[in-house]
This record gives sequence, C-alpha cells and structure tokens, in this order.
Amino acid sequence: MTILADLSMPLVMGILLGGLYAVIALGLSLVFGVVKEINIAHGDLVILGSYFGYVAMTIIGIDPILSLIIGGPLLFGFGFVIQKYLLNRAFKISMDATLIIAFGISIILQNTYQLIWTPFPRGLTTSYALKSFSAGPIRFPLVYLLNFIVAIVVMLFLREFLRRTYLGIAIRAAAQDRKAAHLMGINTDRVYSFTFAIAVAMAAIAGVFLGLTFPFTPISGLPFLIIALGVIVLGGLGSIAGTFVGGIAFGLAQTLGGYFFGVAAQMLVAYVMVLAVLAVIPRGIFGR
Amino acid sequence: MAVRENMKITIPQLRGGLAPFIAVIVVLALFPIIGVPRAWFLYLLLFFLYLTMANMWNLLAGYSGLISLCPAAFVGLAGYTMTVMTWLGLPYYAGIIPGGIVAALFAMLISIPVFRLKGIYFAIGTLVVPEILKFVFLLWKPVGGPLDGKGRGYTVLGVTEVSHSQVYWFALAIVIASIFLMRYILRSKLGRGLAAIRDNDSTAASCGINVFNLKLYSFVIAAFVTGIAGTIFYIYQGFIEPASAFGIQWLITIMLATIIGGEGTEEGPIVGTIIVVFLYFLLARYAEISLIIQGIILVAIMLLAPQGIMGSLRKTRTYRSLLQLAASSLKE
Repeated sequence: MTILADLSMPLVMGILLGGLYAVIALGLSLVFGVVKEINIAHGDLVILGSYFGYVAMTIIGIDPILSLIIGGPLLFGFGFVIQKYLLNRAFKISMDATLIIAFGISIILQNTYQLIWTPFPRGLTTSYALKSFSAGPIRFPLVYLLNFIVAIVVMLFLREFLRRTYLGIAIRAAAQDRKAAHLMGINTDRVYSFTFAIAVAMAAIAGVFLGLTFPFTPISGLPFLIIALGVIVLGGLGSIAGTFVGGIAFGLAQTLGGYFFGVAAQMLVAYVMVLAVLAVIPRGIFGR
Repeated sequence: MAVRENMKITIPQLRGGLAPFIAVIVVLALFPIIGVPRAWFLYLLLFFLYLTMANMWNLLAGYSGLISLCPAAFVGLAGYTMTVMTWLGLPYYAGIIPGGIVAALFAMLISIPVFRLKGIYFAIGTLVVPEILKFVFLLWKPVGGPLDGKGRGYTVLGVTEVSHSQVYWFALAIVIASIFLMRYILRSKLGRGLAAIRDNDSTAASCGINVFNLKLYSFVIAAFVTGIAGTIFYIYQGFIEPASAFGIQWLITIMLATIIGGEGTEEGPIVGTIIVVFLYFLLARYAEISLIIQGIILVAIMLLAPQGIMGSLRKTRTYRSLLQLAASSLKE
C-alpha cells in the first residue's frame, strides 16, 4: 500500500504534465499530418509564445493567459507569413529543403530572442502560478491541472474545427490527398498556410502555459521540440488522439523515471523510451 | 570498360593528375615550419576539421539519402573517449583512432532503431540521439577526479605541451584522408550502389543491391571519420564538456557548409567550408548577430539556389565548357 501511495504522486503528476506536452506537440502534429513537413522551428515558436506572455505581463501588465487574445492572432499571422513566403516555396523544391529552412528559421528565432531578452531564464510568475491544491494526501501545483484542462479544451476545439468548418474539411482533404484536393478546387497552398498558422497559434497557447509551469530561456525551444517529437512519434505521427496519448506516455515516463532513477535521470528515461518504442513499433501507438 | 566510360560522364573529374593537389598539400604542410601568423593556424585548423565533417555529412545526405542530424553524437563520443583515455594515463595520440572506433560502434548501435525509419523520420530519430548522450554525460562520470569547468567537463590531460603545429598536421592528415576517401567511395561499388539507392531505393533493391547494408556502411564510415575529426578538435581545445560536445552548433556548421557549397557534389563542401570559416571569423566581432546572419544565409541559399554554389555552377554553360576546355587541353 505504501508503494501505491508513493507512486500516486508521480502517476498523477505524469498524466497532468502529459497534458502540457500534448498541447506543445499538437501544432507540430497538425503540420506534420497535413503539410507532411517536420517543423523544426516549432519549439522556438512555442518559446515565442512564452516571451509574448512575458512581455504582456511585465511591460503592459496584463495576465499572460488573457494576453493570448492578442498573442494568438499575432502568432497566427506570423505563422501564415512563414508558410506562405518560405515553406510553401521550399515544399516545391524538396522535402529536405523544408527541413533545412525550418532549421534556419529556428536558428534565427533563437538568436533573436537572445538579442532581445538576454540568455537569462525567465518565467511567468503570476499569483496563481505558485498555488497548489490537495487531492487526498498529496498536493499538486494548480498550473499542472490548468495545463491538463487546456490540453483537453484545445484538442476538442481542434477536432470539432476539423470536422465541422469548411476550412477544417479542406485541411483534411489536403492532408489525405493533395492532388485530389487540388482538383476539387481547393487552393492547397492557402490551406497549408492556414494550417501552419493554426499550428503556430496553438504554439502560442502552449508557450504561455509552458511559461507558467517552467522557467524558459532563448534556447529552451530545442528540448521542447525534442519532447514534442518524442510525443508525436510515440502516439503516431499526425493523429490528434495519438498526440494526447503520446503526451501522457511521455509525461509518465518522465515522472516515473524520476521516481525510480532520480530527478536528474528523468529526461534520459523518457528519451530512451522514445528510441525503444521507435525500434519496436516505428509508426507509434496510434500509427497508420 | 563501358561502365568506366559512363562514369566519366556522370561524375565530372578534374583531370590533370595529382600534381597540383600534392603541391597544395606540401605548401599547407609547410606552413608551421615557415611560420605563418597564429591566427592563420586557427582558420586552417577549423577549416580542415569542419571540411572533414562536412565531407562525411555530404556522404550521408548528398549521396546516401540519409539526413543525419547527429554528427554531434560522433564528435562528442569520440572526444570523450580520447579524453577519458588521457585520464587513464595514455598519451593523447593513442586516443584518436579509438575515438573513431567508439563513434563507429555507436553508429552501429543506434542504426538498430533509426534505420527502421525512412527519410524525414530518420532525421527526427537522429536528432534525439545527441540530446540523450548529453544527459548521459551530464550524469555519468566515466573517470574520477575533480571537476573542471561547468557541468561534467574534463580537461584533456597531457596536451599542454602539444604544439599547435602537431595538431595542425593531424587535422591536415584527416582532411586529406577524408577527401581521398570520398573520391574512392564514390567511384567504388559502394558509391555507385548508394547513388542508385538515393535515386530510387526500390529499383536499387530489385537490382540486387542490399540497401540496408550499404546505408549502414556509409553511416558507420561517416561516424568513424567524423569521430576522428572530433578527437583532434578536442586535442586542440584541451577541454571537453557535455553541453558543447553534443551541442547543436556542430550540426549547424556542418550542414551550412555542405548546403552552401552544394549537397551531393564533391567540391561543394570545400567551397562551403571556406565560406563558413570565413563568415565565422568575419562575424566573430558581432557575436550576438552572427548566428542570425548564418540562419538567414541558410534560408536564402535554400530558396534561391537549392543546389548550393557548386550545384548551381555545374548547371551553367560556362562552367561546363570550362571543364571541357581543361580536359581537352590536358589531353594534348
């Protein structure tokens, strides 16, 4: 019984943390599923969301979550421009070209943050960021629960959007068969730009909640990109439900790894699990 | 014989024998004896090492269709192997070849999971590898002794008395070896098999080429040579720590050099590395914007000249006629 009580803490924390990872990975998963490109700059776009929340909080003085009302559309536009003027053109050259251009964007973003906000770690320390709540014998940070709720809301919203709206259906059509969608009169380039823009707007949401949970630096993008890649690889590339399950699996691997092997080894356990899963089921849990 | 004739068409060769090449090598090798400025040493040393790594990255990305994002894993592992061996009391030069061997063995080990992935999936799989190693070396202390610097860093023992010219000659040797290795591989059965795989792997497989094995060979060879270049870099630096040894900076530099010069061309990495090293020192004064500019160059090259400088040059008529002119004048 004591082992069970001890384990309940990392178990619950892992699942809640998995929610945050799922939000971070959702944009990457969407872009991969539709445009079939790995957006290596995704982690840095998430961090852009964190810095936007930071600026809104420290300079303008509004709550970071509320700032998403401005930040979301702003990053939506930014994503649209990146896809329209850079990635759509690269897409026509080759698959490698999109990968390398996204890598270039990642380098540019990282170093721009470094220039503007210095390499010091920042955090979104709001009044509620440090609050915790108790469930039974253990106490949990409130933000973790918030992350999990946001993950479910964003996921359901995306699902309904893809099912019910015209743009959503167009996105799904382009994802299934680019040529056929084009022949049906869908402007696939535009659809791709909108998809990428939605993914970046979701990165903005992820960024704010990431900033509430962890401190971040200009180079935090890469570790979170790798986490997000691990999550979508675990869950099966391009599936929304898979991303959520992958997020929870990754979160659990991290917290349970921390519980059994010490906090310093927790990320190592999670990464090794990703490689091990890749070796056994290369297409992930929900892979097609 | 017919095959040989065809190859001369598909792989443009600068004929004229080895004489000019050997002359360049001799001049470069004599630099430390003549006594050129110290700064030049650093330029050339980095040029040699980056070129070696870029050549190997080109072998993978340009000729084998493997976008490998883990050169840092080979550099770091080989560097650590060499460093740990100096801590065990061996001289630094005894660690160069074992460093390469450890990197090659590691390449074989990770090929088990990552070779099941294709194309872009392979790229993701390899991107995770250096991150894992970084954590391993942050946690694991291979040998005892006091910590040096931040993280789990080690100084490389016994290299304080190593002169710069020795390191320079090592680097020169490995870069020459890598250039000849590329020439040899591309004209061997392995290279032609790789070209067939890159162009269409199912056709290649149905022609009786063992796709998996050939890719594995090139991956392991690349790991070995990249690892050796890594050990030489750490002999020069005299200090190793996980964050930079397995950092993304290696990948940025190597990729930039290959892409600017022209992926899938033999002379591309040479041109690209000259530009990258030049940029590196040109922008050293503006450290904070240096990487931003490198990123912009990477994006711009990819959009405007996706084949890189040499790839685009090859397409122009002037370059081709120049080559023909050179070839015909040498024949006479």
